[in-house]
Amino acid sequence: MRYIKEILLVVGSLLFLSPIYVMFVNSFKSRSELYENVLALPETLTFEYYSAAITKMNFLTAFLNSLVITIISVIFIVILASMTAWMLARTDNVISKIIFMVFISTMLIPFQTIMMPLIQFMDQLMTVTGIPFLNTRGGLIFMHIGFNASLAVFLYHGFVKSIPMSLEEAATIDGCSKFGLFWRIIFPILKPITVTVIILNVIQIWNDYLLPSLVLTDKGLRTIPLATFYFFGEFTIQWNQAMAGLVLTIIPVVIFYAAAQKHIIKGIGEGAVK
Amino acid sequence: MKLKSFWVALLLGLVLVLSACSGGDSDDESAESNGEKITIFQTKVEISEQMEELAEIYEEETGVEVEVWGTTGDDYFQQLQTRLNSNQGPSILSLQDYKKAENIKSYLHDLSGEEFIDNIAPNMAVEIDGEVVGIPYGVEGFGLVYNKDLVSEEDIQDYDSFVNTLERLSNEGVDPLTLSSEAYFLIGHMSNYPFSLQEDHFEYIDQLSEGEVTMTETPEFQEFGKFLEAIREYSPNPMDYTYDEQMGDFATGKTAMVHQGNWAMGMLADYDYDFEVGMMPFPLAGNDKLAVGVGANWAVNGTKDEAEIEAAVDFLEWLHTSETGQRFVVEEFGFVPAMTNIEANDLDVLSDIVLEYSNSGETIPWAQNYYPASVVTNDFMPAAQDFFLDENISGEDFIQLFDEAWQNAVK
Amino acid sequence: MSRLHNRLWYLVFTVPLIMIFTIVVLIPFLIGIFYSFFEWDGIAANPMIYVGFDHYIELLSDGRFLNSAWLTVKFTFFSVILVNILGLGFALLVTTALKSSNFARTMFFMPNLIGGLILGYIWQFIFSDVLKMLGEATGYDQIFFNWLLDKDFAMYALVIVFAWQMAGYMMIIYIAGIQSIPNDVIEAAKIDGASYWQRLKNIMFPLLMPSFTISMFLTLSFGFKIYDTNLSLTNGGPVNQTELFAMHIYNEIFGYGNYGYGQAKAIIFFIVVAAITLTQVYLTKKREVEM
Repeated sequence: MRYIKEILLVVGSLLFLSPIYVMFVNSFKSRSELYENVLALPETLTFEYYSAAITKMNFLTAFLNSLVITIISVIFIVILASMTAWMLARTDNVISKIIFMVFISTMLIPFQTIMMPLIQFMDQLMTVTGIPFLNTRGGLIFMHIGFNASLAVFLYHGFVKSIPMSLEEAATIDGCSKFGLFWRIIFPILKPITVTVIILNVIQIWNDYLLPSLVLTDKGLRTIPLATFYFFGEFTIQWNQAMAGLVLTIIPVVIFYAAAQKHIIKGIGEGAVK
Repeated sequence: MKLKSFWVALLLGLVLVLSACSGGDSDDESAESNGEKITIFQTKVEISEQMEELAEIYEEETGVEVEVWGTTGDDYFQQLQTRLNSNQGPSILSLQDYKKAENIKSYLHDLSGEEFIDNIAPNMAVEIDGEVVGIPYGVEGFGLVYNKDLVSEEDIQDYDSFVNTLERLSNEGVDPLTLSSEAYFLIGHMSNYPFSLQEDHFEYIDQLSEGEVTMTETPEFQEFGKFLEAIREYSPNPMDYTYDEQMGDFATGKTAMVHQGNWAMGMLADYDYDFEVGMMPFPLAGNDKLAVGVGANWAVNGTKDEAEIEAAVDFLEWLHTSETGQRFVVEEFGFVPAMTNIEANDLDVLSDIVLEYSNSGETIPWAQNYYPASVVTNDFMPAAQDFFLDENISGEDFIQLFDEAWQNAVK
Repeated sequence: MSRLHNRLWYLVFTVPLIMIFTIVVLIPFLIGIFYSFFEWDGIAANPMIYVGFDHYIELLSDGRFLNSAWLTVKFTFFSVILVNILGLGFALLVTTALKSSNFARTMFFMPNLIGGLILGYIWQFIFSDVLKMLGEATGYDQIFFNWLLDKDFAMYALVIVFAWQMAGYMMIIYIAGIQSIPNDVIEAAKIDGASYWQRLKNIMFPLLMPSFTISMFLTLSFGFKIYDTNLSLTNGGPVNQTELFAMHIYNEIFGYGNYGYGQAKAIIFFIVVAAITLTQVYLTKKREVEM
């Protein structure tokens, strides 16, 4: 019975992945092979499309750009959102409620409707303050923080509410400052949700196309999703190279996720201290 | 312990931010450019790599840095619009349809005075209010691309012979004519014929928008409806086909004809095929002229400072007059030149046909460049999908839907 | 401690993020509202004509807008149900003691890693090639045909793809919720002889209410905003039957070049959606159990 369950789970999850199979096998096929049969295994195992994709995309540069932008954005999101969410959840007044509501209701705005005012406003800010928001990694990070703040605040806010108040009260009596209280006591407890926030944000920022495409123009600044533009022709797509590029794009995230998910489980074990 | 590692991470993060900000070689926007660097943002993804190569050559020759930006084609205009609005526009940009070019007229530099402009083939430049603002990339043509083993040009001269040929091929077990489901291939290009065959298609389009005429009462459109009915009857459902599959079926001899243009050669080359390929005019109302037009045009952003504008114009001049530039246009980009001073050698079969028709003047124009903005994707497309999915909609009904679609786009 | 002191801390903790958020999201949104009162084609150099509330009145009788809004609501409704059933199901599966659960956890999450456009293209292959093949092989061509070509089924195809993509995402949130339930509570119930379903219904579900709130809200918000998958899978077709809201606005703004009118549509839809979802958050939050 146990083995049957195990097998079912493995088979089920593999079946769930069939579209990924389509992506994978077609990264090895020529256009005519793909036309013959989308599902068949490739006739020969050639990595030519991978190497073509790597050269065209300037993969190493794009990878480093994506890495830097993603890591820094996520670090800031975690720090700022956890602090904000904790304060909002623990200060029970109208202002907190309004701020929280504003945060989460903006999650409903489709990006397409604010992108033009956003870029215009950034340009104006740039002229007034002299800070280069557009066409820099720093500017893109700044915008990523703003756009992903709501989700993170929302997740943290929900989690903070489930932490018993007594813990904080005890610490306050011990003479802890708010800052110390948060970083020494609260933040460690938040670990499981922090890992969740990190995972969700890493994926979102790593894969984002539209925002970077508007902000970054320099070739040397392109992130991985931007660098894949070469494969999307006017009338058709270079399927094999596009799929190869995609495989290369998601491998780092898969590794990251496989490593990070252990921490959710571990973190929760530790969180049971309470 | 945990706290310590957190602070280390935070510190590391801050250092990274600083390095990222300073490392992102931000050009000093406030500084006047001295024409040492130009930027190109163009729509044809297929030539991106070649453009980058050309940019390097140009920089070596002249010392002017050329930066080529990336785009996925589909969202080109929206990206351009956003950038122009926030003063982040490129020095050289692409223009596609006329209506959109008109919209951004105030950003376009008047090229009329430039000498090399005189080489543009007659009626091929983009002119707004008497100013030349766009230089064609090249000319392209579309029509019935056919397999010479299965069809010959004499078979198809008018509606009757067209239908007879479809019937014959169908009886032979071959798909006679396949369209594909992408908006431009399903209806965009096809819709040109009844417009282009009007005596003056500009006037006709204006009258249509004003409501002075309707397609329903225009004979060319009535016949167009009949043609589409015949295609629906004898051919596989185009909605079931992507461009890839359409060309795959053609290359393997399953399909005798496809409605495509000379660009399809690039796709065809990815397949093995062993027959001669030809292209003939679409025989609406006995038409025997090929639809030849310009897909995209180069334009210069006139809101840049003078030095940059000049540098941009210089680049375009070099592209169309120097030996290297001309070689790139024909050989690397694979364009059928729209400039009389560029010699076209070694073109592929379909491009050769386009050139022949073009040189002999046996062409009809692309009316689609003057359609209301986005009418093909937003309005024609749903009507065409309806027609091909629902057998109960007659050709006549379809033209009525077309009338409605047009009115919706111009309101 | 003094209230002033507390207020100071409040500012220190919240102002940095609120500032960034205001610059990046709020101000552009407000600029968008401002534009909705003008007739404008979206090109900065071209004139803007003030039209007051005309756009808002006009859109009430815009059939295509209303249709698109209705389709979006329908799409989101089905998606919320399917995504959450799958997400919770997966979460329950992979938190059992099975050896393969670690593996499965990664597999279920994988679809989420494929972002944007290409996802829709891959699924196009599945609907056009695989379904047709299944139909020919099994003879059930009433079910197995290219759903993307059917005016009714195309919408469900979109729901399936969306659910496939989002289920792993929601699974993460449910896992976090499930694992924060203290083991002793479950053990105690086991000892008392409660069956799996009883434990699920009486202990797990009430304690999972916060996760429900979050997941429901996220699915709602992602569903209402869907664009990339919509574009690459169906591109609004056939016959506009899957032209969901973000795409509709995009076409209005960048296709027809009616910037102000498109913004007015966006704002009306935002208000309606915000009303629906905030009510949902309020309702489910009320049912959350304090630990």
